[in-house]
Amino acid sequence: MPYQNENDGFEVIVVGGGLAGLAAAYILADRGVEVLVLERGDYCGAKNVTGGRIYLNPVREIFSQLLKDAPFERHIAHEEVSLFAASRSLTLRYDGSELGDPPYQSYSVLRAKFDRWLARQAEKKGAMLATKSRVDDVILENGVVKGVRAGGEELRANVVIACDGVLSLVSERAGLRKDIQPQYYAVGIKEVIEMDRKAIENRFNLEGEEGVARLFMGDVTAGMFGGGFLYTNLDSISLGLVVSIKDLLENQREVIVSDLLERFKQRSEVSLLIKGGETVEYSAHVIPEGGFNALNSLYGDGILVAGDAAGFALNIGVTVRGMEYALASGYYAAQTVLHAREKGDYSRATLGLYRQLLEDSFVLKDFKSFRDALSVLNSPRLFQHYPELLGNILRDLYWIPPGPKDRLYSTVRRYLGVREVWQALGDVRRMSKI
Amino acid sequence: MNIVVAMKQIPDLQQVRIKNRKPILDDVPLTFGNIDRNALEAAVLIKEQVGGSVTVVAAGKEGLEDTVKEALAAGADQAYLIICNEQEDIESSISAKLLAEAIKQLGSVDLVLFGEGSGDNYSSQVGSRVAELLDLPQVGYVERIELTAGELVVTRSLEDGKEVVQVALPAVLTVVTDLNQPRIPSVTQILKAGRKPKKVMSDQELLGAVPTPKVKTLSNLAPEIKRKQIQVGTAVELVEKLQAEGFLGRA
Amino acid sequence: MSLTTGLKSKLGLNVFKESSKFHIRIKEGKEKDPRLQKAVLVCPAGLYSQNPEGEVVLSSDGCLECGTCLIACGRELLDWEYPEGGSGVQFRFG
Repeated sequence: MPYQNENDGFEVIVVGGGLAGLAAAYILADRGVEVLVLERGDYCGAKNVTGGRIYLNPVREIFSQLLKDAPFERHIAHEEVSLFAASRSLTLRYDGSELGDPPYQSYSVLRAKFDRWLARQAEKKGAMLATKSRVDDVILENGVVKGVRAGGEELRANVVIACDGVLSLVSERAGLRKDIQPQYYAVGIKEVIEMDRKAIENRFNLEGEEGVARLFMGDVTAGMFGGGFLYTNLDSISLGLVVSIKDLLENQREVIVSDLLERFKQRSEVSLLIKGGETVEYSAHVIPEGGFNALNSLYGDGILVAGDAAGFALNIGVTVRGMEYALASGYYAAQTVLHAREKGDYSRATLGLYRQLLEDSFVLKDFKSFRDALSVLNSPRLFQHYPELLGNILRDLYWIPPGPKDRLYSTVRRYLGVREVWQALGDVRRMSKI
Repeated sequence: MNIVVAMKQIPDLQQVRIKNRKPILDDVPLTFGNIDRNALEAAVLIKEQVGGSVTVVAAGKEGLEDTVKEALAAGADQAYLIICNEQEDIESSISAKLLAEAIKQLGSVDLVLFGEGSGDNYSSQVGSRVAELLDLPQVGYVERIELTAGELVVTRSLEDGKEVVQVALPAVLTVVTDLNQPRIPSVTQILKAGRKPKKVMSDQELLGAVPTPKVKTLSNLAPEIKRKQIQVGTAVELVEKLQAEGFLGRA
Repeated sequence: MSLTTGLKSKLGLNVFKESSKFHIRIKEGKEKDPRLQKAVLVCPAGLYSQNPEGEVVLSSDGCLECGTCLIACGRELLDWEYPEGGSGVQFRFG
């Protein structure tokens, strides 16, 4: 018999008050469902880290009202990518009217502020929130999830939505997780650097609340799979790195991840950008970037899995995405619960609707489109060879020697022999998979 | 036994950053001071021993209804909340008037507990002032409370010893942090806290006219940290400098 | 400033709430496991180090709860749980 009041149990328990969990709780509470969110931090957002940018287009429709007043930082109106060779770099800046005009495609965001706000919105709709509450285990009876254990208490529910992040203990205990494979995970590390608002706008050529997103590839990660990022917030800069954990484990030079960030900051191209700023926070988090092949089971009897817990983050080279997948998977988990509630049945068969909803949405469509992204992008040539090659070509193009200068064509040609072009064509062909 | 615990809403001090020597309070979560929690725990333990009720009387700003859930989850039965939105920080004499007035309105009270000082200002005045306004005996620096036949035997933690005193009820006690280890509420208790009775009053409603503060904070600056930045060329020089500074060569 | 002292002072910028016990433990007998030695490279907080006996030791101050060591070493080498509710790192910005 499904629970209707909390003396016996709850209708829904959401584990984890991040974007997926709060999105699910917001939708469910709005539809009058009794939903309890358990968050282990002092407040929602206290344990969350983002690079941080969120893309709104994919979720604008499903959260049209909610996101209007959200406390984002800056809308990203400029995109820059830099290729770093050991002692030279090349930067491309892209400005497009679609970036600069509303409705804006993406925003920089800080999670401690954003998640606390989202939690308040869910609470206003009637969701119950217990912070400082860690879930220790799931209640499993004959393979069916019946609730969770937290702080020595049994909390029973018709259905549990596991939104407890990339390490998801809840889905692990429910038997829904694959074995950990380091190649499917990256670590992101970040500093938040406080800086005067006007200084940010002047330094990055920003008008008002415009922001810039910068991506750095190459020597930044010592040739390992990953990259550096910089996002401007209203009064601070988020600067950090994402590196493949497998590559770090196997790196022969024994480069330490925290040193990578220090070296990145010391590059003159970067140190000028953060000069005069003051670091106010240092954070890190694992990112599930294995894509489609690394996704965990999304549902079981009495349980749904959403957000990072399911593996919903995607590295597509030009950006690592996660937050919009978290919001959307929370939304579709809530829709699935509403359907199950109507049927009064929370079995695996009924909850299978979740997979269907995700298949029909951008979430699993993206994951399928980019299922080979990781294997294609994870090539040392991309992170070491090409940045050096391009850097060298540009060095020679700009170089005016004491004597006569070579013709431009022969300068470039020198680097692009038959072998190089052949290999580059091969790389481009492999790129066609993403 | 009807017990009142006075609690002050303060910023979570661990979350406060210092910038240009000034504390930044924007977006800092509000909570109760640690010693206030000890006072509450003591009250709940007594109630569990002899029965009765625990009422939290708290003064603070907007959001106090949310903050007080912590106390209600940790065992208080009800709350009396005084909202003072006008004033930046409430002066001790005014806090005391507000709390005393609220306690009077609660009717028969046997025991009033305070933390020895608030977590933010630590003026250590309010407990004594309330005792005076209510014409009750007060005992400070309490680290142990025993209840025997309508009387309290209380151990005071003093700098060079322990004093044991007997107090007739009703009385005011101000407690220190060694008193106990506050409990961590369970999820069910957190959820039930939202439904416990709360009475919310503004300072004006309570006192009619709120007195004008006579103590004004002019500045609140963190100490300046100056490093000497002594440069040394050799290890010998380093040892010499350290000796000169008194860091080396002392027993 | 050396990179290591820089890291300690960076961690000092964060809010850490006290916990009654540390939430990660190296499993007994695994201190010299070569896979564990790799944790030294991947921990962003620099909590893992190797002592002169060749054992990996874990310091408990400043854990960012990122999970990288668990991904790198797995449950075979580490007892890993989150710190109890309301303790551990509390990001102000995130």
